Order: sequence, then C-alpha cells, then structure tokens
Amino acid sequence: MKNLYLPITVDHIARVEGKGGVEIVVGDDSVKEVKLNIIEGPRFFEAITVGKKLDEALAVYPRICSFCSAAHKLTAVEAAEKAIGFTPREEIQALREVLYIGDMIESHALHLYLLVLPDYLGYSNPLKMVDEYKKEIGIALELKNLGSWMMDELGSRAIHQENAVLGGFGKLPDKATLELMKKRLSEALPKAEYTFELFAKLEQYEEVEGPIIHMAVKPRGDVYGIYGDAISVSDGFEFPSEDYKKYMVERVVEHSFAKHSFYREKPFMTGAISRVVNHADKLYGRAKELYESHRDLLRPTNPFANNLAQALELVYFIERGVDLIDEALAKWPVRPRDEVEIRDGFGVSTTEAPRGILVYALEVKDGRVAYADIITPTAFNLAMMEVHVRMMAEKHYNEPERLKYLTEMVVRAYDPCISCSVHVAKL
Amino acid sequence: MEGKVRIGFYALTSCYGCQLQLAMMDELLQLLPHAEIVCWFMLERDSYEDEPVDIAFIEGSVSTEEEVELVRKIRENAKIVVAVGSCAVHGGVQSWEKDKSLEELWKTVYGDGKVKFEPKMAEPVENYIKVDYRIYGCPPEKRDFLYALGTFLVGSWPEDIDYPVCVECRLKGHPCILIEKGEPCLGPITRAGCDARCPGFGVACIGCRGAIGYDVAWFDSLARTFKEKGISKEEILQRMKMFNAHNPKLEEMVEKIFQGVEE
Repeated sequence: MKNLYLPITVDHIARVEGKGGVEIVVGDDSVKEVKLNIIEGPRFFEAITVGKKLDEALAVYPRICSFCSAAHKLTAVEAAEKAIGFTPREEIQALREVLYIGDMIESHALHLYLLVLPDYLGYSNPLKMVDEYKKEIGIALELKNLGSWMMDELGSRAIHQENAVLGGFGKLPDKATLELMKKRLSEALPKAEYTFELFAKLEQYEEVEGPIIHMAVKPRGDVYGIYGDAISVSDGFEFPSEDYKKYMVERVVEHSFAKHSFYREKPFMTGAISRVVNHADKLYGRAKELYESHRDLLRPTNPFANNLAQALELVYFIERGVDLIDEALAKWPVRPRDEVEIRDGFGVSTTEAPRGILVYALEVKDGRVAYADIITPTAFNLAMMEVHVRMMAEKHYNEPERLKYLTEMVVRAYDPCISCSVHVAKL
Repeated sequence: MEGKVRIGFYALTSCYGCQLQLAMMDELLQLLPHAEIVCWFMLERDSYEDEPVDIAFIEGSVSTEEEVELVRKIRENAKIVVAVGSCAVHGGVQSWEKDKSLEELWKTVYGDGKVKFEPKMAEPVENYIKVDYRIYGCPPEKRDFLYALGTFLVGSWPEDIDYPVCVECRLKGHPCILIEKGEPCLGPITRAGCDARCPGFGVACIGCRGAIGYDVAWFDSLARTFKEKGISKEEILQRMKMFNAHNPKLEEMVEKIFQGVEE
C-alpha cells in the first residue's frame, strides 16, 4: 500500500433520510482523509422565512424534514410563543407532547426496523424481509401506524402537521379518541419490549468504542421527556438554552452543505443514547427496569448503542404517552386554543427530536419573523459522525467492500436526517 | 404493463416526505409482487440511478447543478416520469423567495463560507425535463399514490383533479374559514384531493397542493371575499407564493382578480 492513494467512496448512503456520501482516502498504510459529504442541496429556510408572517413561517418550518416534521412544528411554535410571551395551558402542553411522542414512535420504529435491521439480517431492503421476518415487519408496521395515527389525530396528518398552531390546536380529538389512543398505546407496549429485546442482541462494533461527549435537553419537570429549557453535557456542565450559541459552535466546512458543530472545540453527540446517558435517572416504569438490566449495552462509548436507546425509548414513550393523555383527560373538556396577541420579542426553544437536540431561535417583530436560527440534531452530530467513520476506516481500510458496509452502518446508527441538516443557519 | 414493472424513486432536494409517505403505506407490500424496485435509496441499498425503468418517481426540487444532470439522466432512462409532491411539481417551499438572488440567500445563511458543490435556486423538475404526470401535495395523500400507481399498473393513465379544495370542504360540511373567520384560506384556488384536511381541523388552507389551473370562474368571487375581509392583494400574493412561486402567471392573475372587483 506504500504511496498508493486509494479512495473508498459511498456516493449515496442508502437507508437514511436525505442525500449524503462518504469519502475515505487511504495512503501510506493509514487513513488520510474522511469526509462525510452532504450532497443534498441548500434550502435556506431561515433566509426565506425572515420577513414573513409568523403563522406562514410556522407552516413552512416543518417542511425542513418529513421524518420529524412534528418536532420541527412544535419546536418552532414553542419558540414563537416564547417570543410573543405566551405560555400554553398545562393540558395543551401535555397534548402537544403526545403529538411529539407520535413522531418519536413512528420515527424510531421506521429507523430501527426499516433502516437498521436489514443490515444485521443481511437484506439490502426491508421489504425483502417480509416472508422470513413476518413478526418483525408486523411489529414495525403496527408501531409505525400507531405513531402516524397519533399525529393524524392530534396534528392533522403524519407528515407536515398543520393542526398545531399558536395558542394551542386548531381542533382537538374527542375524549373517546384519546381513550382509544391510551388503549392502543398500552396494547403496543409488549411490541416495544420485543423490539428492545431484539435490538439488545445485535452487535455493537467495538472498532468505534471510545469516549463521546453527549448533549441532551434537560427535561422539564424532572421527568424524562422532550421539552426543556437547558442543555446538559455528559461532562457535568449545564447551560440555559438561550446560551446555545456559546457552547454549540457551528462552522461551515467545505465538503458539505451542512455545517459542523463543536462543544469546547470537540465534536459531540446528541440523540437517544445521549438522552439516556444524561438523563436515565429520570426514566420510570418498564423502561427504567430495562435500563437497569441492560446498562452494559446502553453505554456512552459506542454510537451503535443509539439503536438500542431508541428501542428503550419506544417502551418509555408509550408509557409516557398514556400518562400525558391522563393528565389532559383529568381537565376535560379541554379548550383547544387560546387567543394570542402577537407581540414583539425573541424566543429560544430546545427540544429533543427523535435524533437529538433541535434548536429554534425566533425573533418576532410587527407580526413577522425578524430573525430565525434553526439547528438540527444531524447538523450537531456530523462532526462526531466523521470521527466514528474514521475509527471504522482505520480498522478496515484493507477491505474496502466491508468498510463501505460498516461505514454505512455507523452513519445509520446516528439515524441522520440529512435533509434536516441542510436547513442552514445564520452565522 | 406486462411482467414486473420497473420502478425508480429518485430524490432531489427535499424533506423526503413524499418518499416517506409512500414507504409508510402498508399497501406497498401488495404492490411488491408486481414491481421491481430498481432505485430507491431511502429503502434499498442496491439502488442504481443509471438503470432503465418503466416509471420514474422524482421528488424534490432541482437545487444543485448535479441535480440538473440527474434529472436529465432519469428522463433518458424512464418511460414515464412522474413529478411527486410540491417540490418536484412547483419548486417547493424553498422557492418562496425565488425573487431574491442566490448570492443574497447564500450570504444570509453561509456568510463567506464555500462548499465544493454548485448550488442553484430551487426549481421544479419540469423546468429541465418533460414530466408526464404530477402527484400534488406537501406531502401527497396516500390515495394519490394508490390512484396513480394502480392506474399505471393496469396500463391506463391517471387524471388530474380540476376542482378546488372548497368543493371537498363543502361536501364535508366544515364551517368556512374564509367567510366565517375571515382568515386567508386558499381553499378556493387550491387543487383538491386532500378532503379539505386542514379546514377540517379549523386551520386555513395554505395551498400545499398548488393552485388549480388558472382562468377559472371562482377567482373573481374569491377576490371579492378576500377584499371584503380586508385581506390585501400583497398578503394573498405572499401566501400563494409559498407553494406557487414559480407559476409565471401568479402575479398577473392575482392582479386581475383584485382588479375584477368593482365597488
């Protein structure tokens, strides 16, 4: 291999959301360069929504990403409400979180069964698994359908929900539908547990074992969840969401339409495993038990643990969803919407999207968006993803075909939302 | 079509929602015995962008020079090209500021940063290649896919819907958001097919399926209602541009409908 420069490239990583590729250059018996290319075009979401009416901008933001459109919608709405100085009633917050949980369930189920599992079982495409793995595909569809249905009922549809608006919801489902939602969630619990057991058996490649800095939103109310007003770091540091720019520093890199992020000059990770690493003490119910019995697998040092952490969250969020619906039902009948006055102001919302921390910072002036900054989990994760692809490359550069396969698996473990990452923010 | 129909699903720049919508359809499993997926990177690792296909579904707007090449290649290789969703059909929400220069947008977002790809302003697929059929929506409804696919598979041709969301909204019996609440609902000029989904939730239509063909009668009455409700021409224009920015007749038409209102 002396002086031979060998490019190993995956032009288009399959089974992720969005278009990205990997370029690895090997020479002189070592890996010279590793680049995660984001080839999805730019969409300028911040730039195109500045100057637009607030409600119209809020309709456009979810279009950043289909896999987590509810996450985008709800985070944008919260940032806007913080900006105009409005706080939704507790029952509305609870129901919004249920909608968000619908997104979480659907997204995790799709990622685990359709995008990740085929690699482990030796299929190029999840649809080919149907005959051999009837039970698994059945569970995938059931969980996916449950999440989609929750978003249909609470958000108007599974992709690009319009039914989450300033002040609450356009319309709420009736009590019977929420009761049915509880029932369907409870019935899905054993399937989520089966998913956890299934993914607990899968290999976590030790090539990428090493220290990782994890960041996650510190949940409100001290219960493992989605909404929060501060960010916790696995080194023990904690900062208010408003300070995100100080500690999650973005840079433009030449080979990608998406920027890279650093915490104290170091790449960091966000996502299900980061939530578990930083906040497992706030889990409860069956998820808490599973966490306790599988701590060695849910470790902070391997990106593949993110898959199992997602499975754990399926269990958790199903139980959490039931509790949140109960909270809302206790106050039934719930008025869907409050009048809001659109005042000038600035608001930052940080939430946990399926793939990790999602930041929306919005300034509202004269009823219009005056400033917008949006940073998505995948954009945060890209630098860390490159580190892990490099670690994999350093072990396997002599077997290019196997390396390509393993590289895709590393990237997939992050569940990257590449479309999301190309939202691009103001500097 | 005889034998297995060869299908390709190609992505340009988008949120991947159209593909996700199709991937989430349980009905897909029934389709599989009749189809061969030649290219669909979102689900299939063994995907080939260069292979001939019977039906090419393209989602996303053309937003890089590389994507211009890709759509040309897809056209050469496909018997039927279907533009799927608001991005491929109308340029998508990323076209909302299409009147600003690329340089200006770039600077706002990336500053002086450079990347090695060649970005361009988002455009509909049709600006570069001939498109045979369009599936509207952001995202399209599942039944849009079922109808199109089913029709192609029996060797026939699906038809466009040529009536507005209002028709479906009336049939559903929802209160009129425009008349009763005075909100700028785009139902009257938006292509139907969603069963008036958003008005059903009490939310004004934002026109995500795109405008129905222009030069139709309801524009006049709509203009009158907009004006009576105090909604300005500029407001309507801005709102309609969200999903129709590339329509060359948009400004002219909005101008015309407002002029058409005589007091």
